[in-house]
Amino acid sequence: MSIETTFSDSIVFHGPLSELYQLAKEGKIKTSLQGSHTRPCKFWTATKILSGIQNSVIIAHGPSGCAFGVKKAYKLTNSRNSGSPYEAVISTNIDMKGVVYGGEKELRGAIREVDNKYRPDVIFVSTSCATGIIGDNVDAVVDSLKDEVNAEIMTIHCEGFAGEYRSGFDLVFKQLVRLMEPRDPERTAALAKSVNIVGGKMGPERTEVDTDVKELVRLVEGMGAHINSVIAGNCTLEELKNAPSVAVNCTLCLDLGYTIGKEMKETFGTPLNSTILPYGISATERWLREAAKYLGMEAEAEALIASEYGAIQQEIEDARAQLEGKLAIVEAHDAIKALSIAHMLEKDFGMRVVIYNFHPWSTEARETSIDYLLETGMDPEVLITKGTLKFGKYESMKQTEEELLAFLGSVDPVSTVYFGSSLSYPAIPVVDLNAILNRPRFGFRGSLKVAQCILTSMQYSFRPRSWLTKKMVFPEQSQGLASASSLTPKWSEEAPDCTLYAAERRKGRCMMN
Amino acid sequence: MYDELEFSHCSHSKDPIIGCALEGVANVIAGIKDVSIIIHSPQGCASTVATAFDKHEIDFTRRKVGCTRLFETDIIMGASEKLAGMIREADRTFNSKAMFIVGTCSADIIGEDIDGLCREMQPEIKARLIPVMAGGFRGDSFAGIDMGLEALLPLIPKQEIKLVNKVNLILPQSNLNPTWQADLLWVKEVLREMGVDVLSVLPHNMALEELEEAGLASANILLSHDAGYKFVRKLEERHQIPFILGDVPLPVGLSNTARWLRAVGRYFGAEEKAEEIITRGEKLVVDTLRKRALMIIPRYRNCRVALSADATLGIGMVRMLFEELEMIPELVLLHSGTQEARELLVNELNELGLTPGVAFSVDGYQLKQAISEAKTDVVIGSAWEKYMAEEAGIKTSFDLLSPTNRDVYMDRAYFGYEGMLNMLEVFGNDWERSYRSKAINWEQFA
Repeated sequence: MSIETTFSDSIVFHGPLSELYQLAKEGKIKTSLQGSHTRPCKFWTATKILSGIQNSVIIAHGPSGCAFGVKKAYKLTNSRNSGSPYEAVISTNIDMKGVVYGGEKELRGAIREVDNKYRPDVIFVSTSCATGIIGDNVDAVVDSLKDEVNAEIMTIHCEGFAGEYRSGFDLVFKQLVRLMEPRDPERTAALAKSVNIVGGKMGPERTEVDTDVKELVRLVEGMGAHINSVIAGNCTLEELKNAPSVAVNCTLCLDLGYTIGKEMKETFGTPLNSTILPYGISATERWLREAAKYLGMEAEAEALIASEYGAIQQEIEDARAQLEGKLAIVEAHDAIKALSIAHMLEKDFGMRVVIYNFHPWSTEARETSIDYLLETGMDPEVLITKGTLKFGKYESMKQTEEELLAFLGSVDPVSTVYFGSSLSYPAIPVVDLNAILNRPRFGFRGSLKVAQCILTSMQYSFRPRSWLTKKMVFPEQSQGLASASSLTPKWSEEAPDCTLYAAERRKGRCMMN
Repeated sequence: MYDELEFSHCSHSKDPIIGCALEGVANVIAGIKDVSIIIHSPQGCASTVATAFDKHEIDFTRRKVGCTRLFETDIIMGASEKLAGMIREADRTFNSKAMFIVGTCSADIIGEDIDGLCREMQPEIKARLIPVMAGGFRGDSFAGIDMGLEALLPLIPKQEIKLVNKVNLILPQSNLNPTWQADLLWVKEVLREMGVDVLSVLPHNMALEELEEAGLASANILLSHDAGYKFVRKLEERHQIPFILGDVPLPVGLSNTARWLRAVGRYFGAEEKAEEIITRGEKLVVDTLRKRALMIIPRYRNCRVALSADATLGIGMVRMLFEELEMIPELVLLHSGTQEARELLVNELNELGLTPGVAFSVDGYQLKQAISEAKTDVVIGSAWEKYMAEEAGIKTSFDLLSPTNRDVYMDRAYFGYEGMLNMLEVFGNDWERSYRSKAINWEQFA
């Protein structure tokens, strides 16, 4: 049996993104995640966004484990990375008695205590599975205390069973708008040259930390404008209140940024600049030009673009000359990043892109970004293999690795580049944009960084991949279930940013700066 | 005796520093080889289970976890069929010898009959099904450890005979000691030297079948002051296996290590060997410190210390800090609060003539308050307490312990003689970092 025949047996879908999108919408391809493909629940994602608001306290109404988990993952990591003061995540510590008799009394007491002892600007009361099921009337408790406590207070209904993980992000971004104050002439005038970057998450995620966002801030300021706030990336209540009065909201993550941006547009009329993650020159130019329209700074934007692009033009053109027409396989474990990188590779470098193992589930979670790509004339190929949909982790599963290798067996290895985790093992140049040297990845400098990365990978592709790492990641007795992602939870928690690798221990500062 | 700290504003709200019962139960299961876990829960609880596996440092190839991912309709209508489907799929895929079916908050509250379902399905499932209810509201992760160990009890058959000089080590890893694996090796090694074999380590890297032999042990040694007491008492009651060394702190520091070794020696008739290990160990420490530590130890003399630790390491450290390093434990903040740990600490403090401020089962707020108000010179804890110390204006903190040991990566023991040297190495390095010259505010000398 030839490799091609073997491989064709393992394909679930191979075609344009638009076709996959249509199949998913019509229910003709399975979009649900397997029980082993665990993602954070709605409670985690909601509290992740809330963790990015300074001097706020989250009261997780439920058993202590929920609060401890999110605090460890987000608040402590933030504290470690940014050097910001440690902020509590409170639990009402509901026990068996609370489950039987209800926990409203505990919640009432907790709200008063938190207001008194932490003196926060905002208290967010988030519901957990336990208190959601027993039916505590959290809204009534919160409403009854609104006049009594000094902090602003808001309920977030985010029981873990109440939706997919994406729903927690959307929920909070929509609700944060309620903390904002309407545009008024004075504030609008004061913030006429300011923007909000919306859809950010102040957590350990690599797309949100330090260098990428800072690069966007540098570009906005380079144009002569200001940043009012990165929402919700370490923003203050004051910034949130002023947020509707800026000239324009610019999305960071298109999908999440669109949620809050649309809400703010409908509620306050704040203009929205929503483009895909600013990976690459064309996306960055669009991001800046759209922002400039609302800032009345078109000329400044053009000058900035000319100057920034001018600084990298030669190298980018050299890179394009080497990359044009080559095949790019883009690993799709992070769907939003895969779509954005696909956009960059096709638009900036003229590569043919195949997005590998874009889980059909992602079509629901990333509708906004997919719509954007399709509307702007891009329709990359998607390849989904059986391993993606199998019980067991799909990220870097041994089966998907073998399927990838089988697929590459039928393409020209000399003119193909793989964009994904360094823990994948195709015998072609591998570009890992999470590697610590590739910062920033947004903006013009980011484009150059990515281009340099690709060229370095190509230059040294003669070196065999590390047998040591391969043996570690894909053990012989793994029954096909071994997953590199299983390696990462602890690692990602403990080494979330390249600050760890800095020669000196410089909390909150990245070695790239 | 001690002065138990009182905190206002803490009766309804907690800033937890340990996980929930689910994490504790998962910690026990994670220590068993060739098993899989199905959690009947919304998807977020899988992160809690992953944390338990992380703490165990389980090889990722051994992580076989499935989650029923409950949603609203499941909560309303029940999800037994969904769970049954998941069990079948996991049995086919994971091919494990046993499968723990764990109900978390949601399944627990809506009353899913996991016991009944397991009984009903067992004939068609290859893996042995073991149901456990572990709603997070049933307690913290220490309580969860006790629940997980309790689930193992029925799997230990009664044995008529006891094997001489064979022990079980009860090692509930979620006592959060970051160096527990190396500590375990040290314990095994000194026991071996004293002619004592370890039958099983509950629960670490053990096959389920090993439980069949656990009943043959002539003694149980609990390597925790935070959890596991109920389990060893039940083993004593049901299997007539004595729980030994319960009245001495674990082997942390020179004096406690010697006490612990002598107690082992007395029980197993290996007093001479114990003395030999003590003499050798103390010589190692003294010789090493003579070369390396004359500049370290005098720095800390009479400095007032806030110690934030689990009881397992914390109780042992009090004597080491006071007697051997001549520091003054001003605050002892323990993460758990078993009655046994309280009694042991009282004994230690009375013997030492100390009356520090003490708090049990502390949370983040209490830690911060106590550290801020006591105005100690040094904080010994984790990276977390280090941030708190910084905010309280305390320059020196030693990042030695869990729960959030993020700045120091150690895989060496804290127990025993080399363990003490390992701790001092962290002390020395952290002290140097605290006083890097670039951090000195030169204007103060102007």
